[in-house]
Amino acid sequence: MNEPSAKAVDFATVAARWFLGALFVYTGLEKGLDPVSFLKLVRQYDLVQTPFLLNSIAATLPWFEVFCGLLLLAGIAVRGTALTLVAVLIPFTAVVWHRALVLQGARAIPFCAVKFDCGCGIGEEFICHKLLENAGLILASLWLLGGRGRILSLRYSLSPQS
Amino acid sequence: MPSRGSISAILLEAVVVVVVAAGFGFATNALSPKGLNLERDYFPKATNTVGSARQTPESVAVHPASTNENSEVAEIDRRIKDKGLQPIDRAETEKLFHDPRYQQGLLVFIDARDDTHYTEGHVPGAYKLDRYHPEKDLPADLNPCDFAEQVVVYCTGGECEDAEYAALLLRDAGVPIQKLFVYGGGFDEWATNHLPLEQGARGSGVAPAEGK
Repeated sequence: MNEPSAKAVDFATVAARWFLGALFVYTGLEKGLDPVSFLKLVRQYDLVQTPFLLNSIAATLPWFEVFCGLLLLAGIAVRGTALTLVAVLIPFTAVVWHRALVLQGARAIPFCAVKFDCGCGIGEEFICHKLLENAGLILASLWLLGGRGRILSLRYSLSPQS
Repeated sequence: MPSRGSISAILLEAVVVVVVAAGFGFATNALSPKGLNLERDYFPKATNTVGSARQTPESVAVHPASTNENSEVAEIDRRIKDKGLQPIDRAETEKLFHDPRYQQGLLVFIDARDDTHYTEGHVPGAYKLDRYHPEKDLPADLNPCDFAEQVVVYCTGGECEDAEYAALLLRDAGVPIQKLFVYGGGFDEWATNHLPLEQGARGSGVAPAEGK
């Protein structure tokens, strides 16, 4: 890759990192500042039966997101954070997809017409839009895993060798 | 393509991020005044303790919502009954609100929404019970509930189940379940029908501004 295009890729990667970071801070705060509403939304998925687990997910997940968002904004442990986000986003997307299928069955409407608040921090959204959005976030996180765009990072990697 | 060494470094880094971020999450929840109590069961399982009481002619008369017309109301009623509680419809709730016993404290209304919504507007004279933080309100609510003959609990209405769980909280605190009624239409239905509202603290007598 020649130098100008390498630089462009680096800047694009930094922009993706900042965008992801800002988005996770925003959506995390939206949920974290109103944990009761988030608790009700998490409950709709019927993922866990134990109150402690349900409460723990609702209480900590938003702040987990905020923390990861801050790491990306600051450029700390970028690839570890990106991997964490991929590991979180993929099951979340599957769970949201499954919930949408249940709602589609109950409402007898086309899949893309299903609209609900998935607890993702941005209110009610059409499912197809949400799935595309999540696919974009997963791709952006995978892109960060590639290791480009190390500029404007406080500590890109925690490992001294990297 | 990252090398094998750097893949393990990334994995290790991810583990560190997960552990620290989870710790941050638990710590923030513990420090936040809005934080959740991790041990509390906010959605206790239904126990049909009212049982036969629901079937008496008297209870049917008090809860005409049990012979409701539309499926949404039927669904809400079913949900309330599944929790062993007694549903009450708007007409009956309104009748209780205008009953002279309400002024005497023999009828009590409990608003199970959060502080913000309560302050914005509630049924005049309703006590507040934020079921997610019951330690704030429950002690002040128990005396009037003990004295009352009937207690009507409401939240937003519709899909909101907070009124039901608040009623169960009152039951667990010693209020006889036969006294407890859940107004499934909730605050939204009450306000939409232009019924009396009060803003701010209980007993303020301040009606919300028109259009609110």
